[in-house]
Amino acid sequence: MHQHFKGKKALDHVIEARMKGRTASSEVHGTELPGHYSAAADASKETAVILLVLWTLFSQIGMILSWIYLISLTFIIGWLFWKVGRSAILGWARLERLHRVIEEERWEIEHHRHQEREELKALYAAKGFSGKLLEEVTDVLMADDNRLLQVMLEEELGLNLGIHEHPLKQATGALIGVAGATLIMSVALLYLPWWGTLLSAALVISLSAGTSAQLEKNKPLPFIIWNLAAAALSAGGAYFLAQILFP
Amino acid sequence: MKPYLFDEFFSSGLEESISPFLTKKSRTWGKNLSLKSSSSAAVLLLFAFLLSFVNLPSSHLLLSLVYFLVGTPALISALHDLKNLEINIDILMTTAAFVAILLGSGLEGALLLVLFALSHSLEDLVTHKAKSAIHNLNHIAPKFAYVLAPDKTLFEKSVKEITPGTHLFIKTGEIVPLDGTIIEGSSSVNLVHLTGESLPLPKTIGDTLPAGARNLEAALVIEVTRTNSDSTLTRIIQLVTAAAHAKPRMQRLLDRFGGPYATTIISLTLLFALALPLFFPLPYLGTEGAIYRALAFLIAASPCALILATPTAYLSALSACARQGILLKGGVTLDALATCKTIAFDKTGTLTTGDLLCTSFEPLTPSPLSPDEVLSIAYGLERQVVHPIATAICRLAEEKKLTPAAITSFQSHPGSHLEGRYGALPVAIGLPEKIAPDLPPSTTDHILAALRIGPHLYLFRFTDQIRKDLPPLMQKLTHLKLTPIMLTGDHAANAHAVGKTLGLSHIFADLRPEDKLTRVAALSSQHGLAMVGDGINDAPALARATVGISMGRIGSAAAVDASDAILLKDDLHLLPFLFHKARQTIRISKQNITLSLAVIILASTPALLGLVPLWAAVLLHEGGTLLVGLNSLRLLRTPY
Repeated sequence: MHQHFKGKKALDHVIEARMKGRTASSEVHGTELPGHYSAAADASKETAVILLVLWTLFSQIGMILSWIYLISLTFIIGWLFWKVGRSAILGWARLERLHRVIEEERWEIEHHRHQEREELKALYAAKGFSGKLLEEVTDVLMADDNRLLQVMLEEELGLNLGIHEHPLKQATGALIGVAGATLIMSVALLYLPWWGTLLSAALVISLSAGTSAQLEKNKPLPFIIWNLAAAALSAGGAYFLAQILFP
Repeated sequence: MKPYLFDEFFSSGLEESISPFLTKKSRTWGKNLSLKSSSSAAVLLLFAFLLSFVNLPSSHLLLSLVYFLVGTPALISALHDLKNLEINIDILMTTAAFVAILLGSGLEGALLLVLFALSHSLEDLVTHKAKSAIHNLNHIAPKFAYVLAPDKTLFEKSVKEITPGTHLFIKTGEIVPLDGTIIEGSSSVNLVHLTGESLPLPKTIGDTLPAGARNLEAALVIEVTRTNSDSTLTRIIQLVTAAAHAKPRMQRLLDRFGGPYATTIISLTLLFALALPLFFPLPYLGTEGAIYRALAFLIAASPCALILATPTAYLSALSACARQGILLKGGVTLDALATCKTIAFDKTGTLTTGDLLCTSFEPLTPSPLSPDEVLSIAYGLERQVVHPIATAICRLAEEKKLTPAAITSFQSHPGSHLEGRYGALPVAIGLPEKIAPDLPPSTTDHILAALRIGPHLYLFRFTDQIRKDLPPLMQKLTHLKLTPIMLTGDHAANAHAVGKTLGLSHIFADLRPEDKLTRVAALSSQHGLAMVGDGINDAPALARATVGISMGRIGSAAAVDASDAILLKDDLHLLPFLFHKARQTIRISKQNITLSLAVIILASTPALLGLVPLWAAVLLHEGGTLLVGLNSLRLLRTPY
């Protein structure tokens, strides 16, 4: 057994490599979803919940509407910078991990060709290839390093090329999400200070949860309801806690 | 779907603007990011400055964005350098910018950061352009070959995996991927990529083929004799990449001086900040305080402009040359080119094109046929193949408005001859040793082809053509105060004939390779000599000359090894541009160094004496840096 496989069979090595690929392509340090649509949906949902909680709290302590506006706006500016910056940072962290993985894989191809060949054979044997055909497929794939690297990234590490958005584009999504949710809720607060805030928050949360579900290919309805329930719980929790603390 | 080409991505240093993981549309977001970010910071800084007169908190809000955009990368870079115990300009600037906040001079600190980031991003831009030229060279090397298995099936295999003894199938028109010996088939190959020689060479079973040769006529099977790591192209790429790091003389001097200078300035700043109030009636804090003055001194004395003075100039020049198809092995080549007073040319392949011209044909036996009939038969045979000799014969026949003779039973024997029947007569044209074995070997430089029509023999003579528009080029070189000379192994008569056409007065003919080398050595020691050559035979002279300039799209393996500059497009008309660019680079580097030193001397002492406020020190210092950068960018302009 070659040291490259660390005591494992080629196929086990491939399975481990896939896990590594999955980790590299996910947002391991945060909850932000990759992509500008996801970032927008996530940011708008969180902004709506935060504004709803703030409004609940401030209404409970009897703050006048103009103060609620000013304090919420100040808070949201800080929140906007954080969300946009964080979204970009997470995107760049993911991109750096992916680039590290691709560099490692290229190094493997250049320095451990024999082991890469074994991994490739294990992968294609698992797909049903055998005998001379397996040898031929392996030979063809090993012939061109560019093609081999692409195959190893996709088949061994389970990574997809050309699907991620640039971190700045993702951050722009977050910016639009925060700004959009703030705008909708501000207008609602202005015209219907009581029901408007609740309804607009519900609308923003439903839309963003629905979009997220669509992007993740989940069923939208349960996803929307669960998100609305969680938002209601946080707003309700803040409301009742405020009643206890500021009677 | 075509496989993704990762080579460019890796050779760019994993640049995100070409990251394979990002969508194609999304990649544009990553282009020139440092320039975009520093430009945005500059705009925000302008607004922060304007707002500082009417609303200070709004100004501070914008300033925090400026510090975020350009301060964060500077801080990361400075901490990284500190971790590696490297005291340099980044640390000087970042310290100054962040200490400025503590002194209530955030605007000045931000200005310093913005201008510093702008200079860096412009430098990145120039470096990136220079890198891409080297990347293009990588594209030429064949990545895989067709392996012929024992059961006669063909499959692709990476050249890195092919071991000696493997049988490779080389299709017509393909580049031979690895060195080998022919075991099946006959063809002619052209070694233009290796030796600059475009004339086809006949090759048959038992002959060796070098990697990089182009197979012209028929498919061949070769047995590999050397692995890819010994291949010519691999060596060229390694050589060029390594040589690109060769630093010019002025740059080496500045590098040596940079580290100790930065340490001295930081030490002096600390000393002034702490000691000035002990000797003079100065407070520590405030705009008249010792810390403020020391900071102004630190900024004014920082050698940003000095450090950027030469690399930006040389990189711009290298980039401008690369865009024109001239690959230079580092800035040292520009230094050497600027010292050259003489330029020597090899004749064959350099001053001449390598395309054949049919100069004459004559009967070797009494001929019953007219010259036009003979040429028409040769035309009838040669028009059926693609070969430089065939092209020359067809061109001559077309010029004479002849129609090709009707040839039947045509057969081609690649690398040897063509045959057929003209009416009842057997006809053949090809290598004289095949068609007329009794013919004595040629004693002239002419290339020969023999034609047999029945019992009658004819001999065709071909010669190289002089490259187009060379006389004006020689005049341009003379205007640049360069003396063009010709060094050739050819006969004196031929050499003088070519020399006369070109307007050359200094001609050295009948030179054996060792004579050529001695001559080049003598000329190089008298004054700078640039030698322009193409083939393996020129390699010693190219290596010995002050600057060796090689021809060929990738140059001859030996010539590229030996030369310092490569004319990728075989275009000699780029030589005046090259010499002009080299001299301009030295001139601009000297201007940059003078300007940088002047700024340091004129700004640092008054800053310490409190005569120059912090903002003025920043403007003087960074203005100087920007001027140096912009002055260097003038070298990117290509026209001459």
